[in-house]
This record gives sequence, C-alpha cells and structure tokens, in this order.
Amino acid sequence: MSRAATADAVYDESGGKNYINAEKGVVSWLTTVDHKRIGLMYLVSTLTMFMIAGIFALILRIELMKAGEDFLTPAMYNQAFTLHGAMMVFLFIIPAIPGGLGNFILPIMIGAKDVAFPKLNLLSLYLYWTGSIFTASSIVSTGLDTGWTFYVPYSTTVSQTSVIAVTFGAFILGFSSILTGLNFIVTIHKLRAPGVTWYRLPLMLWAIYATSIVQILATPVLAITLLLLILERAFQVGIFDPKLGGDPVLYQHFFWFYSHPAVYIMILPGMGIISDIIAVHSHRRIFGYKAIAFSSVAIALVGFLVWGHHMFTSGQSELASTIFSFITFFVAVPSGVKVFNWTSTMWGGSIAWSTPMLYAMSFLFLFTIGGLTGLPLAMVGLDLHLHDTYFVVAHFHYVMMGGAVIAFIGGLHHWWPKMTGRMYHETPAKIACALIFVGFNMTFFTQFFLGTRGMPRRYHTYLDQFQPLHAFSTFGSWVLGAGLFLVLFTFIHSLLKGERAPKNPWGGKSLEWETSSPPPTENFHRTPVVTHGPYDFATTGK
Amino acid sequence: MAHADPHDHGHHSHGPDHVPHVTPLPIYLKTFATLVVLTVITVGASYINLGTSVNLALALIIATTKACVVAAFFMHLASDHKFHTAVFASSIVFLGIFVAFTMFDTSARGQFDAQKKNRPAQMTDPFAKATAAPSAAPAAAAAPAGATKAGAKP
Amino acid sequence: MMSASTEAHEKGSPDFVVAHHFDSADTQFDAGRLGIWLFLVTEVLFFGGLFCAFFIYRNWYFDSFVEAHHHLDKQMGALNTVFLITSSLTMALAVRAAQRTKRSETVNMLFVTFLLAGCFLVVKYFEYTHKIHDGLLPGAMFSAQGFATQHAGVFFAIYFVMTGIHGLHVVIGMGLILWILIRAHRGDFSSRYYAPVEGVGLYWHLVDLIWIYLFPLLYLVG
Repeated sequence: MSRAATADAVYDESGGKNYINAEKGVVSWLTTVDHKRIGLMYLVSTLTMFMIAGIFALILRIELMKAGEDFLTPAMYNQAFTLHGAMMVFLFIIPAIPGGLGNFILPIMIGAKDVAFPKLNLLSLYLYWTGSIFTASSIVSTGLDTGWTFYVPYSTTVSQTSVIAVTFGAFILGFSSILTGLNFIVTIHKLRAPGVTWYRLPLMLWAIYATSIVQILATPVLAITLLLLILERAFQVGIFDPKLGGDPVLYQHFFWFYSHPAVYIMILPGMGIISDIIAVHSHRRIFGYKAIAFSSVAIALVGFLVWGHHMFTSGQSELASTIFSFITFFVAVPSGVKVFNWTSTMWGGSIAWSTPMLYAMSFLFLFTIGGLTGLPLAMVGLDLHLHDTYFVVAHFHYVMMGGAVIAFIGGLHHWWPKMTGRMYHETPAKIACALIFVGFNMTFFTQFFLGTRGMPRRYHTYLDQFQPLHAFSTFGSWVLGAGLFLVLFTFIHSLLKGERAPKNPWGGKSLEWETSSPPPTENFHRTPVVTHGPYDFATTGK
Repeated sequence: MAHADPHDHGHHSHGPDHVPHVTPLPIYLKTFATLVVLTVITVGASYINLGTSVNLALALIIATTKACVVAAFFMHLASDHKFHTAVFASSIVFLGIFVAFTMFDTSARGQFDAQKKNRPAQMTDPFAKATAAPSAAPAAAAAPAGATKAGAKP
Repeated sequence: MMSASTEAHEKGSPDFVVAHHFDSADTQFDAGRLGIWLFLVTEVLFFGGLFCAFFIYRNWYFDSFVEAHHHLDKQMGALNTVFLITSSLTMALAVRAAQRTKRSETVNMLFVTFLLAGCFLVVKYFEYTHKIHDGLLPGAMFSAQGFATQHAGVFFAIYFVMTGIHGLHVVIGMGLILWILIRAHRGDFSSRYYAPVEGVGLYWHLVDLIWIYLFPLLYLVG
C-alpha cells in the first residue's frame, strides 16, 4: 500500500471519538452543521442519483444495440435520454465534487473547524434534496422529453410532459449550488489557519475557488432563465415566443450563459483533484504550482466568453459565431497548461501505482481526447457538419465522464481512508479502474466514428450501416457499468471489512493528512500552524 | 452556537470586540439629498426631447450616479474593504459581458442574407451557375426561428 | 466559550459569542459581510438577464417600446422612487442606530422603513390594477386596443416580469425588516453585534438600486 502508512500511524487522541460516532441517530445527521457529515450526505445522495441516471444510460444503450424499435417506444426513448442528461448534470456532476468531496475536504485543508456558514451549508443540502424530489418526480408522473437543455419553443408550447416540475427543481438546485459556492469563497478568504497563505493552498482549493466564482456569477442567470421559461409555459408572456414577438434564440443565450460556465463547474473541481492525486502519489513537488492555480481561475473567467459556440446552427448572427469561435480556442491554453504541468510533475517522481494514481492517469488520457475533440467543434465550418451528431455526444462524455467523473472516482479513492477511517482493497479497485477505462473507451471512442459518419444524436433508431458500431458501443457500456458496480462493491466491502486507515496512508503533505482518520468533529485537536507548502516532498525531480 | 470546546487553545481568545465604523449623520443626509435632486432631474429630463439615444444615455448616466452614491455611502463601500467593491464591480462586469455578447448576435442577425441568396443551389455542383431553385441548405432548415427573426425586426 | 458569554453579560450588552470556527469577532463580521456581498452579486446577475432582454427588445421593437411606455404613469413611478429612496435612508439610519446601541431609534427607523416599503406596494397595486383593467398585459394576454405598433405585448411582458420580481423582493424585504425589527425590539443588537441589521440593510439598498434603474428605463425612456 504505502510507505508512509506505518511511520505516523497515530489513530486518535480523543478516545475513539470522531465525527461519525460523535453523535448517534438519524436526527443527529439531519440537523448536523458539521461540514463532514453534510459532505458525506451529499456524497451518498449524489451517488444514488448517479446510479439512477447511469441505469438510464444502460437502458438507452440496450435500445440502441439494434436499429428499429426494440423495447422503448420513441417517446419513452426521448424521456430516458432527457432524464439521463438532466439528472447527470443537475443532480450528480454539478453538486457531487463541490458538495460532496469539497465540503468534506475544504475546511480541513485550510485548518478550519467548519465552513464559514455551517447552517447555510445544511440549507444547501436540503435545497438539493428538494430540487431532486421535484426533478425525480417526473419519473413517476408524465416524464420529460425536452432534453436536458429545455429548449423553447418545444418546452413551452409543444411538450406534454412535466416541464414545470423539472425546471422548478433545477431552479431550486441552482440556489443550492449558489449557497455552496458562496460558503466556499468566504471560507477560503476568512478561515485559513495561521500559515496557510494563498500559495500554500492545495491546488484542489484553487480549483474549488474558481468553481465557486462560476457558481456565483453564472447560476443566477439560470435561475432567471428557468423562471422565464416557467412563466412562458404557464402564462405565455411571450419573451421567448416568436409568435408574440419573442426570440427563442434568446433563450439559448440565457441558457448557455449559465450552462457553458457550468461545464467548468463540473470539470474544474475534477482538475483540482487530479492536481492533488498526481503530486501526492508521485511524491513530487507539483510542477508549476502557480501556473496550475491561475489556469483554474483563467478557465473560469474565459469560460464566460464562449457560450455562443453551442449556437452556431441556431440562427445566431455570423458576427457572434465568429467572435465566440475565436474566443473558444483560448480555453485550450489554460487547459493545456494544466496537462503539461501534471505530466511534468510525474517526471522524476517516485510514482506509486495506487488506484487514485491510475484514475489520474486515465483522466490525463481521456481528458486530453475530450479537450482536443472540442477544437474541431469550436470551428464554425466543421461544427455545421458535426453539430448534433454522436461526435458531440462522444466529445462531452470524454470531458464530463472521462474527465469530471473519473477524477471524482479517483478523488473518492484518494480521500476514502480519511472520510471513513477504512482502507479499501487495492486489487478489486484497480480491476474496476481498468474495466472503467476500457469500457469507457469502447463506448465512446466508437461514437466519434458514428458522429463523423452522420449519426445524429437523440434518435432511438438509425440506418443499418451504423449497426456494428452501435453494438460495439453497447458492449462497451456493459464493461463500463460492470466497472462502476465493482467500485461500489469495493467501497461496501471496505466499510464492512476494510482494515483501519492510518492518518496518512499516501504520505501526503497537506493538512488533511495531519488529523486522524476519520477526523474528530472539530477537525483538529488544536488549530494547526502551517510552516510548509502542501507539496513539499523530499523528491524534487532528477 | 455556544459550544464548549475543551481543545480550544492555540487560537487567540476571541479577538478584540468588533468596533463598528459609524458614518456621520450629515453624510447620510447629503446622500439622500443628492438622490432626491437626481430623481427630479431625471424625471424633468424625460419631458425634454433630446433625441432618443441622448435621453437614454442621460437617464443611464443619472441612474448610475445614483447607484454609485447608494453603494458608496448607504452600503458603506467607501469605508469598507476594497475587496467588497471589487466583488460588487465583478457583477457589473459580467453583466456587461452578458449583455454585450448577446447583442453581438441580436443586433447583427441577417447581415449576410444578401450573400446567402447567391450561395450555390446545387450542393453537388457548387460552381455551376446558380439556378432559380431555392437552396435547401440544412443549416437554414435547422434554425427557422432565428433566421426569420432578423426579417421580423423593424 | 461559556466564559466569553458571561463576560458579555457583565459588559451589559446582549449575549453574543463569536462562533467557534472564527478566530475573532472582526473575522466573523467580515465573513458575514462578504457573504452578503456575494449574494448581492447573484441578485445583480439574476435581474441582469431581464435587463439584457429589455435592451435587446428595445433595440428591435423601438417604436412599440416608445408607444407602450407612454401608458405607464410617470407620477406614480416617481412617487415610488421617492418612497424607496427615503426607505433606503431610514434603513441606513437604522443600521447607524444599531451600531451605536440605540435600541428605540433602531426600532423606529426600521418601522418607518417597513411603512415606506408598504407604501411602495400600495402604489404598485394601483398601477397593476389599472394596467390589468386596460388589458395592458404580457404576450398572449395583451388585449388593449388602438395601438399603432405590433409589439407592445413584449414591452408589457418585460414590465410585468421585472417589476413583479422586484415587487417580490420588496415583499421579502418587508419580511426581513419585520424579523430584525422584532429582534431589535427584543434587544438582540448592540455595537458589538449588529450583523443581521447590516445584512438586511445591504439587501434593502440593493432593492432600491435595482429600482433606480427600472424607473428611468421603463417609465421615462421606454
């Protein structure tokens, strides 16, 4: 496992008391203001949603294994892909890393006892649950068939499904997201322990900080968009209705002003996790600390200037398309800076082939493909051909699943001993990682070919010539699903039978490894005073 | 929140008491007077026709002056941390980006409609002289709403 | 922590203890204030979407906007502006009173603020009923006759959504003012602790600030 495991295996200084067993009973969990407990509840909730949305994905792939209508009617297919998308985006990827891992790890990493506004933090979780109920309620009522983007005029005048319930759910989820971001910004500004300067923040926190900026600045626009959509559907106010003088393309501007930056809400925390995993598991001072830190902020800010690249074929003006296309390429610069710095960090390090590191390497590979395939889509001319094909589907799955979700699972393995106080079994965890990597590429690399050959997205059937590739993609989804379930079993096994985790199983240098596993309720028995950076490892390269 | 914490050493008591920064009363009254005067001016200006863009610009300048006065004195930004001003200013900057970039689209739609009419009707033989048949370009079909919008604008 | 609380009582001011995760009262104050400012940022962007829509449609349907805005009552708008500006002043004075531990002055100022907010809503009510009576309504509900231009419905859609959401903020603000009024009356606040008064104050000033833009754009230049 790890070389540092035995060196400083101090289990606890408080007679076995930690945040998990400090209080007992369901009520103590539901009324807690402890960021670690809230984080844990966020994790369980978001992972449940991940499983439901993932099962939708498997159903979609089975339907697509053969052309024609197999067991889903076209209407059911529309609802299945809509719920898959909406739940994955709003209920899983956006809240999972900040709300789950971020909540748990952020205050510990800066040596604080809690986030700045603990009650607000709990409110954020309750809002998440409320929003989830509204969104998930559509499964048992009339469903939703608009796609996760709720484009007008279909969503306002045509669709017979529960648009209002789901958009209202997403509206509430937006508030949850805003409160988390607000809390994190204030916490990082005001609650750093003595010695934790800005340049001694773990890179995970720079990423979360950048994410929070996006949450604060972009999410309110989603709120007003969805509110207008609801008003439009309920009262026909006409702001988005061309019949009444409104403009449906304006809806897309509103929507993507949030939802493009939201892509960075999803990927930035993942990048933060990868920075930490790579440095700790290579036992190597991170290469280009400031470059990685500021590239996170740069991605967050440039991400606000590019939303129109979702609208090249929507009737947006040529002027706007040209400007948006041009600026989109700038996003590649800070992303490239990160990838090169991660690679350079590994160079000359003493790399531990642990599960988190394997996920980090998978991330490097998959995210690079995801990023590079974004470039052709940013070119207006090529996008006219590729828009709404499987190429786009494959591209964003490489970024969202291959990037954000792989990083999330890697981070889950990385901080699992800290969160639960248990180690997991490395062998099944590594097998699961391999299955996910292979299954993912089988599923989605295939879709690049489908897309370039003209297979449009969101159709329940297709021409016969696409059949072999679709079937291969479906087989891949089974491998991927098996890998994910193996992760689940590894974790359950760890909870039941795992050996006790030492305080610093990976030999990390940041603050969370200086407290016991699991940490006590107040995180540290005494407020830590920090005198070194988070990546001050002995190995500094060749 | 009163929370007995046996391990509470290491962090310096509970700091000195918070001492509020009390703004003198005349500043508030002057701020209020400024706001009232500016309101009168902006209402008065709306009765004089200076041309629509001048009227709009004047109204926006007066409103912004009022907003700055409120933010600086009522909301204490003048005496508060500079960072809070930066935070608030960031919202204006990003709102500006939002409005400006959206208007790159809405105010420039249909600029190339004339050229598009001359685009080759026959996609398989683009260099043949254009025939009368209307183009069936897929991009145009995908975006009926936006394309017609430009035509609808006055 | 307990000792800090008793110490506070000895000083004669209401019981206030620094929350356990802050190192000083100043940090806690600053954190709260920064939190409020971040919240105000979200408010600006929330309304921002509507301002964006306003400018775009004004650009497109300029004649309709000019024609439609003559149907709004400038006098009523100006009256409401005065109400809100004055309430902003009294709110600022309430915070100032709380900062100096003047309990009854705080309560009185908050009460005046509350009343002025109520006046604003009353005027708004008369404006709305008048519009509804005349059929000056958003989009599909627009039924007024005798308009020379086609798109007055878009103007009234924006008018009702913007002033409606702003009015909702006024209502929420009245609830918040009532809450701190009760707390101030109970004697919760002092120069050592007045964060809720200041927070609600900042929110209230933002509501005023939004109106400062809404009034000229909708009522005066259309």
